[in-house]
Amino acid sequence: MPKQLFAAGWRRYVLPFLLLSFLPTSLVFAQKDSQDIPSVSEATAIRGARIVQAPGRVIESGTIVIRNGVIESVGRRVDIPYDARIIDGDSLTVYAGFIDALTNVGVPESDDDNPTGSVPDRSNPTFERAGIAPQKDVRMHLDASDKSVASHRQRGFTAALAAPRGRMLPGQTSLVLLTGDKASDMVLPGTRPVLFEFEGAQGVYPGTPMGMMAQFRQLYREADRRMGVQAMYDANPSGLSRPPYDEVHAAFFSVIEGDTPIISFTSDALELRRALSLSDELGFNLMAAGLNQGFDVMDELMSRGIPTIVTLDIPDRPDWAAKADQDSLDQVLASYNDDTRTATFRDIEAEKRNLEAKQLVARTEFLTMPARFAEAGIPFAFTTYGLSVNVMRRNMMEYIANGLSEDDALSALTVDAAAILGLSNVMGSLDAGKMANLVVTDGNYFDKDSKVTIVFVDGNQHLTGDCSGSGCSDKFSWGN
Amino acid sequence: MKLVRLTGLLMALLLVNATSAIAQDVVIRNATVLTVTGGTLENTDVLITGGIISEIGKGLRTPRGTEEVDATGKFVMPGIIDAHSHIALSSVNEGSSPVTAEVSMEDVVNPYQIGIYRASAGGVTTSHLMHGSANVIGGQNETVKHRWGSSDPNDLRFEGAPRTIKFALGENPTRVHGRRGTGGTGAIVPATRMGVEQVLRNAFEHGKRYMEAWDAYDAELASNPRAVPPVWNERMEVMADIIRGEVLVHCHSYRADEIVMLTRVLKDYGVDKITFQHANEAFKVAPELAAYGAHASVFSDWWSYKFEVYYSTAYNAAILIRNGVITSINSDSGELNRHLYHEAAKTQRYGNLEDDEALATITINPAIQLGIQDRVGSIEIGKDGDIAIFEGHPLSVYAVPEMTFVDGVKVFDRAADPDDVRLEVDPEGAIGQYEGQITSRDHFHDQNEVIDFLEAFGDLEDVITETTHN
Repeated sequence: MPKQLFAAGWRRYVLPFLLLSFLPTSLVFAQKDSQDIPSVSEATAIRGARIVQAPGRVIESGTIVIRNGVIESVGRRVDIPYDARIIDGDSLTVYAGFIDALTNVGVPESDDDNPTGSVPDRSNPTFERAGIAPQKDVRMHLDASDKSVASHRQRGFTAALAAPRGRMLPGQTSLVLLTGDKASDMVLPGTRPVLFEFEGAQGVYPGTPMGMMAQFRQLYREADRRMGVQAMYDANPSGLSRPPYDEVHAAFFSVIEGDTPIISFTSDALELRRALSLSDELGFNLMAAGLNQGFDVMDELMSRGIPTIVTLDIPDRPDWAAKADQDSLDQVLASYNDDTRTATFRDIEAEKRNLEAKQLVARTEFLTMPARFAEAGIPFAFTTYGLSVNVMRRNMMEYIANGLSEDDALSALTVDAAAILGLSNVMGSLDAGKMANLVVTDGNYFDKDSKVTIVFVDGNQHLTGDCSGSGCSDKFSWGN
Repeated sequence: MKLVRLTGLLMALLLVNATSAIAQDVVIRNATVLTVTGGTLENTDVLITGGIISEIGKGLRTPRGTEEVDATGKFVMPGIIDAHSHIALSSVNEGSSPVTAEVSMEDVVNPYQIGIYRASAGGVTTSHLMHGSANVIGGQNETVKHRWGSSDPNDLRFEGAPRTIKFALGENPTRVHGRRGTGGTGAIVPATRMGVEQVLRNAFEHGKRYMEAWDAYDAELASNPRAVPPVWNERMEVMADIIRGEVLVHCHSYRADEIVMLTRVLKDYGVDKITFQHANEAFKVAPELAAYGAHASVFSDWWSYKFEVYYSTAYNAAILIRNGVITSINSDSGELNRHLYHEAAKTQRYGNLEDDEALATITINPAIQLGIQDRVGSIEIGKDGDIAIFEGHPLSVYAVPEMTFVDGVKVFDRAADPDDVRLEVDPEGAIGQYEGQITSRDHFHDQNEVIDFLEAFGDLEDVITETTHN
């Protein structure tokens, strides 16, 4: 033990001086082959920046100090510690780090994700072949060096609920930080919901939504029975046969006990309703993610108070509208008549125009959903699950163009996401004592031309802040 | 601010109409009322109060606020009931196993599907949404009312309707499971009609043992708190419920031999509620069916679309009815269901059925087969306000459906029938292509559902070839 203490002490006190002795201060940022920027000090202060502590709680010009992965102080007038590295925040805006509430970030694709191939009897495949793996622990599948970690970070994400890849029951998720050299550095304690999707097994049972519903009930109710038998056996095994055990059923035990929620990812209203009815029927805690077309299920979501996670996937513009400008689309939208009686053979153009208008009405329903959730007082987070993170900001801006306020969008990325994932005590806002997860932009994040210039995750700085040349966020070429 | 305006506009245009399902009071005046069970009443009013038929008579006095419908010169009949339908479903066949009693159409009702509205436009108010015929024992079916306008599948459910389940005999299950094997596996039982019977007997025997095991556990629990419950099995739960008589069997079948085979299997397990669906050769065993108390739900005049349905006759329904078998005429199609009244009329051309007998094949008879005859299937006081109004007698070739009511709510009105009533629109696809579009495939009937399954399992090419050759 004394030896280890010595080793730690050596690093803390000697290493910074060693680095200093080798490097002129202006070259501290010049280690291009390093993932993390070596700090000459444990403390960093961003001075004179616009600080958005939380949506609606803004310091126009203030200072934030972080030390050892924690926000030490934040305010209009903050004494900058003598040992702090100082970042000039003039023209910069600082936000709490963004949180992606469901994603495959850090989980490399694998051949096992979509099991296929011949089986002796397709009516009775192995759990593995059927995509049923609730016991699969994403923490065993994380790769800190996976490219997705850096690209998520470049968009301002600092933490996430990471999910394993698979089909109907891909496995158990984990809260992760988007930093660190190895998987175990990323993992945060906390809620670890089991992911459920309507992705049928390929060529074997269960292949359809109704098959998956039935299989889910079967697994759950048999697990429930096994839990009871196991408890009886644990209390007194005398005279009882050894209870059956397999890891698939065992993975449901904590779900049944209410300790582990199921997180469903659904892509239309009917899938969402099916997840809700399973939850009602079986009694597990449900978190609802995806929610495309969730506007038709708003009442049900509200009355149950279910944690709500909205996809950043939006419908593409239909081909006919791809090149139209917004004003002309608005005109088409406004021209929709729900009671046309056109004889097709007389005026096919008129009928077509109204079909196009109706399609815009439908598309607008998708785009206005987050705004309507916010208006109805449903708190929600965002998810990029199943989506390229590249489209995250563009699609969010579409939500904003369709009525979602910037503050509500920011809430979804920060404070509400933290609350939904049970992270409010460490994340979601810029307050002293919280984890040093920061996103720094060169202006309002929601302005089209602004860029994410610096990201801190758990106090580790991940972008240079140098945005000369071709840009710093999307064209980031340093350290990754 | 334009955005705010557009959002406001959208609120007014929402596709799904949440208020459409409120029961209203409506009186239909001065019609020729075809009650089906109580004769034909001329110049008669029908009053629906709170969704229920409350009065039938001449010159009825009605409460203030009752909607008036003048049906002078028109015909009013009970809402049509389609005892075999696959509309409004997200999936039809869980075709990965010969026995899938545990799956239920209840889980996959799709209230957005345009087929509901189209069926209403043909006077249909209730449909029996069935699992497909890929499996010997398919899933449980769902009886729904055509409450068009809601996005909630539960709103369509026919409350209190008995549970039913789909069985299938003959070529479909033997092709899907026995002949080729699909997906990632080779052929499994059944490959023949003998195999089909064996699959049935195995499933019933396992269900019986499962039921006995749980009964034994329940009994033991009274004296032994440490009794261990048997392994839970969703599939066998349903088999046990069938044996207990809690689930009505509706069996896809064609040939007389397989029809008799199933009655023998069911008899061995004490199951007496059986409706044979399609049953093109049922006329050959009509007395046997009558003796068993079995029902039949048939096509009016469809056959020769594959080998097992080669031997058939348009007199099938009439022969069955004359032999005392309760018989309905169904559609099994998102196209044919819009003119079931024509299909019923064919029993007069082929078999000379009386008007009420012919109408019964699409009203009270299917109601009996679905166990909902106390609620629908005829115009009687106390029954649901499910009504179809026709210009011309519904059994006439000149019949035109004018209005359809479900629970007293008008779900179709020919005079107010916009071009596009879809509740759900693809927000990004090409205009003019949408789910539910009628295609030539809508005439394939029971082949269609097998194609749907095989399409999902990537084996479509072979089947299309085969279907064409049938």
